[in-house]
Amino acid sequence: MAGESNIRTALSNPAGWQSLLSFSILALAYLAAFSSRLFAVIRFESIIHEFDPWFNYRSTHHLVNYGFYNFLNWFDERAWYPLGRIVGGTVYPGLMVTAGTIHWLLNSLHITVHIRDVCVFLAPTFSGLTSIATYLLTKELWSQGAGLLAACFIAIVPGYISRSVAGSYDNEGIAIFALLFTYFLWVKSVKTGSIFWAGCTALAYFYMVSAWGGYVYIINLIPLHVFVLLLMGRFSYRIFVAYCAFFILGLLLSMQIPFVGFQPIRTSEHMASAGVFALLIAYGFLKYLHTHLSSLTKSEMRSLFFFAVAASAAAVLMAVVYLTYAGYVAPWSGRFYSLYDTGYAKIHIPIIASVSEHQPTTWVSFFFDLHVLVCTFPAGVWFCIKKINDERVFIVLYAISASYFAGVMVRLMLTLTPVVCILSAIAFSNVLERYLVDDTPKVHHIEDESEDDEEGDKRNKSKDLYDKAGKVRKIRHEPSGEPESLGGNVKTIVVMAVMMILMMFAVHCTWVTSNAYSSPSVVLASYNHDGSRNILDDFREAYYWLRQNTDDHSRVMSWWDYGYQIAGMANRTTLVDNNTWNNSHIALVGKAMSSNETRAYEIMKALDVDYVLVIFGGVIGYSGDDINKFLWMVRIAEGEHPKEIREGDYFTPQGEFRVDKAGSKTLLNCLMYKLCYYRFGEMQLDFRTPPGFDRTRNVEIGNKDISFQHLEEAYTTEHWLVRIYKVKKQDNRVRLDHTVRKTDIKPKTKFTSRKSGKRKRGFIKNKMLIKKGKRPSSKNKKPSRKTSSKK
Amino acid sequence: MADCRKIFSTFVGLSVVFFLLVVDSPALGVKKKENALGDKVQQLMEWSSKRPVIRMNGDKFRQYVRAAPRNYSVILMLTALQPQRQCTVCRQANDEFQIVANSWRYSPSFSNKLFFASVDYDEGADVFSTLKLNSAPSFMHFPGKGKPKKGDTFDIQRTGFAAESIAKWINERTDVHIRVFRPPNYSGSIALGLLFTLIGGLLYLRRNNLEFLYNKTSWGIGALCIVFAMTSGQMWNHIRGPPYAHKNPQTGQVHYIHGSSQAQFIAETHIVILLHAAVTFGMVLLHETAVSKGDVGKRRIVTLVGLGIVAFFFSLLLSIFKSKYHGYPYSFLIK
Repeated sequence: MAGESNIRTALSNPAGWQSLLSFSILALAYLAAFSSRLFAVIRFESIIHEFDPWFNYRSTHHLVNYGFYNFLNWFDERAWYPLGRIVGGTVYPGLMVTAGTIHWLLNSLHITVHIRDVCVFLAPTFSGLTSIATYLLTKELWSQGAGLLAACFIAIVPGYISRSVAGSYDNEGIAIFALLFTYFLWVKSVKTGSIFWAGCTALAYFYMVSAWGGYVYIINLIPLHVFVLLLMGRFSYRIFVAYCAFFILGLLLSMQIPFVGFQPIRTSEHMASAGVFALLIAYGFLKYLHTHLSSLTKSEMRSLFFFAVAASAAAVLMAVVYLTYAGYVAPWSGRFYSLYDTGYAKIHIPIIASVSEHQPTTWVSFFFDLHVLVCTFPAGVWFCIKKINDERVFIVLYAISASYFAGVMVRLMLTLTPVVCILSAIAFSNVLERYLVDDTPKVHHIEDESEDDEEGDKRNKSKDLYDKAGKVRKIRHEPSGEPESLGGNVKTIVVMAVMMILMMFAVHCTWVTSNAYSSPSVVLASYNHDGSRNILDDFREAYYWLRQNTDDHSRVMSWWDYGYQIAGMANRTTLVDNNTWNNSHIALVGKAMSSNETRAYEIMKALDVDYVLVIFGGVIGYSGDDINKFLWMVRIAEGEHPKEIREGDYFTPQGEFRVDKAGSKTLLNCLMYKLCYYRFGEMQLDFRTPPGFDRTRNVEIGNKDISFQHLEEAYTTEHWLVRIYKVKKQDNRVRLDHTVRKTDIKPKTKFTSRKSGKRKRGFIKNKMLIKKGKRPSSKNKKPSRKTSSKK
Repeated sequence: MADCRKIFSTFVGLSVVFFLLVVDSPALGVKKKENALGDKVQQLMEWSSKRPVIRMNGDKFRQYVRAAPRNYSVILMLTALQPQRQCTVCRQANDEFQIVANSWRYSPSFSNKLFFASVDYDEGADVFSTLKLNSAPSFMHFPGKGKPKKGDTFDIQRTGFAAESIAKWINERTDVHIRVFRPPNYSGSIALGLLFTLIGGLLYLRRNNLEFLYNKTSWGIGALCIVFAMTSGQMWNHIRGPPYAHKNPQTGQVHYIHGSSQAQFIAETHIVILLHAAVTFGMVLLHETAVSKGDVGKRRIVTLVGLGIVAFFFSLLLSIFKSKYHGYPYSFLIK
């Protein structure tokens, strides 16, 4: 009996229902986040995607095989030949360590999983965690209902899915979770002012530092928050404690990552945090003095205080500027500076500008990635500003700065997405909370909070639960101050319409995920007219060929995009890869690709190249091939070797980049062109087009007569997507490419007498006779000379 | 016969003179050449010390740029700066060219190996015809030896005429490295300073009543402006500089929406800002009417209006998106 009554009280307790509902909604959001990222695995297979993930996978593999310390000390001699790369010191190890730990845990529980599967499913797992972190953060900022809505939004929003589908094993996958969790803990510590929460913030920050270079965003946004709070006159000892504890611990912890090292005290990117720390200490000190100097009048006190703070702020600023000029602090690095001065990278760092994800963002990609959220989240900003408090200042600053960064770079859409989800959730919840109140039949009003989970619930569950919950819920009399009801019909209409829009959002997210973000790009798929699918597995075919048929230590030259894949899949030494740390080395490869064969051979000899690999999409119409990337190779090469490579040479006089007959001679004879189009001129793809018709650029190629002197074709994949050439060893004798001029004009045969019987030479009938003093006719000039010389 | 002899003797005499002349001329010619060259260089130096870009007409051009004894390179800008020509590009190009010339003039490596000159169409139309040019502005390089080659004409179409790219081109052609020193553009800083002094002054004037600083509405509107500007791709406009709208030259129809999802017009982003703002406004309206007190009927209407705004403008946005992103299957209310 007692147990039964316990259950009954639990059932009738709204708090119990509330937590059950929110728990189940979060669980469903987790599930949705995980499963909507599995398109690629279901369609293709459990495979690592794209480029960077291959490196991460390779180093995780190394970590799992050789242990943590060997991983930290790993010198990879297979990359950046002949320089090598100190992997342990140039990588954010958080991702590998996370995957390694999960793998170790599972294996020690005797769940034997291959490390590849751990890597593939790491990003979806962490997206689920992200949605929970978002819930926590939004709950702190606004209400539980908004939190659940935000968790559901971020679970399926394409802007985040783009970086976290299964197989996209990259830093961002876990970093967004770390980012949001750090922010949640920060907001919590601002609210409570306890050292415990601040310490937790520092720990979460440490995890973020170990995972992604974007930690710089945190270490600038939190000081900005504190600074703005100071400006607004919202200083309190809660903030003082939270920031000081976070800053000191975070600084010390972040310096433990080998790749970060002393950067937190030596670079401008981190100086804002130190400056705000000094300012905060000065402010706190003045506040303390304030309590002791009671002899002054109030107005004197205020102006004195104001000037003291302003002076200390100026002093901090001057100190940072001085340190930068004196060289103790490195100025902003180009990558960060290009966010501020948007033209900078294009002029000075072509390698940054060449990456497509560093381009600015059009409104279409905002809408594509965020759909309805992009136009509703300003409403969330509005509500937050209208009901401002310490932590809402933070979210507003986050929204403004992140939308600026996302506008500058497509890639930073990723940092904008969470805040958009949070603020739209606030906006939707704020609206729905007013319209979902069931107050028409009676003058009863149900507690606000219990509605909140309803909107989140709406998206996952049927409506029935709500009614059940509502019936047993504790009902409170409506306070007299509440506005009059709008009437059930209007409310229903509003709720229905909003639900429609949210449903559109869910459908959009699924469509985008399935169509745009679920391609592994290692395996390509093409669809026939009847909907059947062709798998183009050329990349793996080529890499596997390299793995099987070449010497273990042979060196493969390719453009840097494919460096990680060659290392990961073919296990061969590469010259350059996606870790673009050495611009001049990349420029050297670019120079080899854009020079003619003889010059390229010299470079390739100098770099000990054994094989050259190019990606050619002309047969199947694959647009991301090397010819389309070629201008960037030229530009990067020109940046380092302006004497030899000039971009202008690769254009037609009209300034066009063409591969057909009208293209420039330099282009038609450079190594890249020859490697791509070798023997392509003999190939007729279909009857409507001439032989040598490039489907990507839709032209007939201009140079069909390609032959190699120092290279030979080693392998070409089924659809010609990857072409591999072997670099020949140097000849013993250098052959001349022209025939030797004959200086020896005497007949080679010895003089033989006609009279000596057997060896009598034949004679020509009707042989022309030359008479001395007579000019032979011009037609027969040559033979006449020959004959005359014989005489 | 006598006639014959006379003719012969004069012929001999002439030939002797001729011979003498021929023998004499190399030494004399070298001296003359040197003199001429020295004079020319000196003259050019004198001019360029007065103004870094030497203005030339047809005669000067032939004498100093075209004529043979030269050991200096000339970078020539052909332009049309007269107001009646209405060449705005020429003005911009001229400014950039002046910057390069000034940077060279006041650089430590300044020498008499490189001169900057310009020919205006209205002062030397013959130069344009001799160079077979029919467009301005254009930049040409006249090397110290020989005639200009293919690469000696600066390709404005492709590289633009920013001072940096001109300097780079000069470096390519002449091996003279010019570090472009732009006179710092103070207009931005001045505007910023003015803004700050204005704000400061305003604050000072109203120091007794600083309530407006706590006005959340104005702060909210400011924040929303930034957010709208960024999410509608104004940064893209700033970096890529697209046209405001596209007018089809055949039909004269004006397109405000770019057909591809990779690009956008400025007009389009303004439309998008309006749509975003409308949806946001509708959301705020929905919330405000629900919490406000007042006549129920009125509030109902306002609610429905707010909902209508949200639904209509969102579906409009969706339909624009659909027209740009080919193959997108969904739409709402509006096709």
